[in-house]
Amino acid sequence: MESSEALKQVNAIFIDVLDNEDIVLTPETTASDIEEWDSLNHIQLVVAIEKHFKQRFTSAEIQKWSNVGEMCDAIQQRLNK
Amino acid sequence: MKKGDKFQQTFTVDSRVYKGFIDIFKDTNPLHTDGAFAIERGFKSEVMHGNILNGFLSYFIGECLPLKNVIIQTQEIKFSLPVYLDSVLTFNAEIQDVFDSVKMIEFKYYFQNVEGKKVAKGTIQIGLI
Repeated sequence: MESSEALKQVNAIFIDVLDNEDIVLTPETTASDIEEWDSLNHIQLVVAIEKHFKQRFTSAEIQKWSNVGEMCDAIQQRLNK
Repeated sequence: MKKGDKFQQTFTVDSRVYKGFIDIFKDTNPLHTDGAFAIERGFKSEVMHGNILNGFLSYFIGECLPLKNVIIQTQEIKFSLPVYLDSVLTFNAEIQDVFDSVKMIEFKYYFQNVEGKKVAKGTIQIGLI
């Protein structure tokens, strides 16, 4: 999977979980850019991502993600293994 | 707790629960309080408030699990059959998934009446705090 495809799929997950059709993610997007992306919704986002991509991450891996791009890179690396 | 773990609990919708729910939440809709009204609409008698079952869910999460450091994060319930006063319900829950990364456990559950029919089912996600 290419990074752009991971970003596209993650964007769809964000729209669904955060119930906001206007969300347009970029690799630089962080939680401070999206009002609904609070700590509780972050849990729902991670769960939805893990379910969608059928991958499991550790809490240490997740804590390293500083933006959406790093999240997508981690997903992509897992899928390409 | 791990995927596949199962839990069971029995609950009774007795008059104390029923009256207590009405006393606290003031939902006196005739479906719940007027037997004739309910019978005219095809029910056996007053239908118990569906959200009484959510109280039982709260008890299960808060009191019946081996861990106390829990918080309900999401909850879904679908009601499929009416519940009447003094119904004895068996609650069955199974851990469907565990998300270690965000310390979340997802349960699938259902409530069954004494006839063995499911009266409600759903999912509930809890976080470990």
